[in-house]
This record gives sequence, C-alpha cells and structure tokens, in this order.
Amino acid sequence: MAVLEGETPDTVPIVPVIDGYFAPRVIGRANDECYMDGGCLADALMASRERFGYDGVLAEMGLGPDPSVLGCPVEIEGNDVPLVVETLIGGRDDLERIPVPDPWADGKMEPVTRLVSEAGDGYVVLGSVRSPFEYAATVRGLMEFMTDFYRDPGFVHDLVAATRPATLAVGRALIEAGIDALVIKDSFASSSMISPDHYSEFAFPSEAEVIAELGAEVPVILHICRNSLPILPQMARTGAAVLELDGPVDLKAAREAIGPGIVIKGNIDAVAVIEKGGVEDVEAAVRAAMDVEKAGRRFILSTGDSIPLPAPEENVAALVESGRRYGRY
Amino acid sequence: MTDTLERFQQAIVEGDADESTALAQAIVEEGRATPDDICEQLSRAMDTVGGRYETGEYFIPEMLRSADAVERAMAVLEPYLFQQEHDQSGIVVMGTVKGDIHNIGKNIIISALKAAGYQVHDLGVNVSTDKFINAVRETGADLLLLSAFTTSTKPALLDILARLEEEGLRSDIKVISGGASHSEKFAEEVGVDGFATDVKSTLAVCRRMMEA
Repeated sequence: MAVLEGETPDTVPIVPVIDGYFAPRVIGRANDECYMDGGCLADALMASRERFGYDGVLAEMGLGPDPSVLGCPVEIEGNDVPLVVETLIGGRDDLERIPVPDPWADGKMEPVTRLVSEAGDGYVVLGSVRSPFEYAATVRGLMEFMTDFYRDPGFVHDLVAATRPATLAVGRALIEAGIDALVIKDSFASSSMISPDHYSEFAFPSEAEVIAELGAEVPVILHICRNSLPILPQMARTGAAVLELDGPVDLKAAREAIGPGIVIKGNIDAVAVIEKGGVEDVEAAVRAAMDVEKAGRRFILSTGDSIPLPAPEENVAALVESGRRYGRY
Repeated sequence: MTDTLERFQQAIVEGDADESTALAQAIVEEGRATPDDICEQLSRAMDTVGGRYETGEYFIPEMLRSADAVERAMAVLEPYLFQQEHDQSGIVVMGTVKGDIHNIGKNIIISALKAAGYQVHDLGVNVSTDKFINAVRETGADLLLLSAFTTSTKPALLDILARLEEEGLRSDIKVISGGASHSEKFAEEVGVDGFATDVKSTLAVCRRMMEA
C-alpha cells in the first residue's frame, strides 16, 4: 500500500496476476472444481501466495465470478478456460434482461472474505471486477458487440450504460468485503482489438464514471490487455491510481505517455516469459523492468496478465526472487 | 475484371454492406461473372482487410464490418452461384472447435466456399466432437474444416481425429484445420490432411483435396 500512498517501500512490491487459472494446481485441484467452489478457490489463492511469497493476492469471487454473475451460462471442463456458451442480449428489446447482480448471493464472496480476514498485515488483497464495456461485450457476445460499433453505435452506448450498475454492484461488494484495492478489467478495450477512437467513444467514458465512484473508496487498478500504448494518455485520465500494463507495452514509452505520478503495475509477459521462457528469461525481464521503473518509485512488479496454467512453478518463483533482488531500494 | 467486380471488392474492403449487396445484385443482373471471378474478388478483398489489420489500420470491428459486407452480399449471390457450373464442388462440414468461439474467419471462409460452389454445413462455434462426428456421418461430407484460432485448441483437434478413426470415418474424409496461427509443423503434429491460414490457401487446399 505504501506505493499507492506515494511512499517508498523497502522493495518494489510484487503482485503477479495469479488467479483461478493457475492457483488451483498449487493445491492439486482442477480449475473447474475451484470455479464452482469458493472454498477451493480461496484455498488455492492462499496456498499460491504462501508458496511463492508475493505481496498481494487477487481475490476472485467464487461460483463462476464474472459472466455468470449476469446470468450468462458458462461452461468449464477440467482445466479449460471458462467459456460463455450463451449470451443474454439478442437486440435492443433484451436490454431489460440485464440484471443488477447480488454479489453476496450463493457464497460468491467467500474467497474474498476469507482472504481479507486471513491477510493481516502480511499482504494486500485486490478485488477484481469487469468494466461496463467488458460486461456489455460478454452479455451481447464479443463478435456481435463489435459488429454493432458500425451497425448501431447507439445500441452500444445503451448496452454499456445498462451494464454499469453490475460493475458498481460487484465493486461495492468487494469494497464492503474489505479489499485494499480494486482491479477493473477492461480487456476488450485493448488497442490490440479496437481502435483508439472506439476506445474513446465506447469504453473510456464508462471507465471514468465507475472509477470516479469506486475510486473514492479504494485505489483502482485499471487493466487493459495486450497493447494499450496508444490509449495510455486517456487511461491516465480515468482517475485510476494504477495502470496495469500487459507484456507488449514498452515501459519506457508508457511512462513517457502518462507522466511520473501514476503507478504502473506490470508487465512481465505471462505467456512469452513466464509460461514459455526459462528462469534466466524471467530474471532478465524483471531486471529490465526494474531498470526502467524502479527509480521512479511508482512501480509494482507484476505479470501483464493472468499466469497460464502450464507455466513452470520455478518461473513464478524466479519472478518473486528476481523482484526481491533487483527491487530493493 | 469488370468495373462492378472491382467496386464489389472495394465495398467489402471498406465494409460497406449496403454497397456490397447492391453490387452483388448488379453482378447477378449482368450475369457475366463466374464463381471463380467472385471467389477471386472475395479473396483479394479479405487479403487487403487482413493486411490493414496487420499494419494497425484496421481493428476487429473493421474486420467484422467487412465480414458483414461479405455475408450480406452472399445472400444475394448464392442462388446465382448455384446456377453456375462448378469444377470442384463438394460437401463441406465446418465449425470452430470446442473451447474456441472465434467466428470471423470461419464465416468468411464459408462465404468463399459457397461462392466456389461447395455445399457447406456450418456447425457454428465451440462445436463438440460428437457434433462434428454426427454431421460428417449425416452429410456424407468430402471435407471436414476445423477452425481453430489458436494452437491451444490442439487437444480438441486431436480428439476429433481420434474419434473419426474410432468411428471408421477417417479414410472417407479429408480433414483440414485452419487459423491464423496454423503451420505445416502444427498440421503434421495434429495429423490433419491439410491446413490453411486465409481465404486463398483454404480454397487452394480444398481444391487439391477434392482432386486427390
């Protein structure tokens, strides 16, 4: 938390994105077991933190956290990634079908409350919620949603507005549960998927709105997948305290784009380095990131995105060990 | 190439579905374009769209806009194309494999295959092995096209091929996998008969398989 409060900690904090894709294997469970069992997920997330010793844990909601909270049926088998198999919104007439979820129902918050209660002063607990733009894409279906950008942009605006209460409801519940900071994921707003103009038109306004409300309670970390460099100046104007950058973003260029004040969380490539690289690749990537960002004291070492299931555990350990070695002030 | 075909190609590149549909109607009324001519224009248009995506000029919504322009034009062109003579017609079953919901590439390929005279059975996305097997059996397909955006879908591809063997269907059908990340090495590892990465290579490999 020291970094978020503008202070200098002893070392650069290390908070990799370890969630329900990687953590279950640490306790020998399959992803689908923990996906529908909050206790399993909490055990996995805590065990992973204890095994590797990083400074912050991402407390995901249980029971199929995000798409299903809005009523989208989700399938998961074994260790596969959860897949939304049916969308809610076929057209404008369906907008009223979007529910305002009750995050406290059905034990969904169990992993969050357990992690918060057991965290003590040892590590921070981050909550995670999808942005209105990402929820809108999920309930509409990503391809239909992005086809609507040209076919019916007014519908896109209405859809994003209709999902805003869901982001706020989940965000408020996580804050009520006692998280230290909130990650707002806006994966599909990436410049690897949509143009900066479309980001400005459809994603940025709702990001700024929910961050204005939720960010008044806890620091907000805004995550956008893959390339976000072209939209970083706008992301910096959302009011987010931290920008979580993915692997493809050049850290030096990013810092130049956003200025010295905002904290950067990132951006060791979770696939190219952590999954497919070796220990020496991890160490080199951490050292390079520290060379650019450590001196500015507004940096949290992290992976750029979720660590994939097949990532070697020694690489995760190397991320933390290298972070400690090269991150000491 | 006629002016109408040239403009048809451009309308697809620009993602102007109204224009591509109107030009499709004009192509039908002129009655001069062959299925090969139309396939060629579709292929060139989508190559241009893909190129613009690679250079950062286009993003996913722009690709979808072009795909929509193709799909709407094909609704007009299909009856015309089926009246034409085809050298390489065949029955195709196509779908995106289990665990993958990408449909842009699949839909564009299906449009191009229909333009080339193939009878195409579209199974959709996130298709189970059972559904592929049943469709192959029920349609008597010549070609099975498996769309898989990333190589992480390898287990799904392997499962389908194993089931084709188990069910005694493998020797009667050619299996082609496709996606931007596919390669000859990947195709060999999976055991498919051919692979494709875009419209042009899909049409070429289908033609080769039908002639084999």
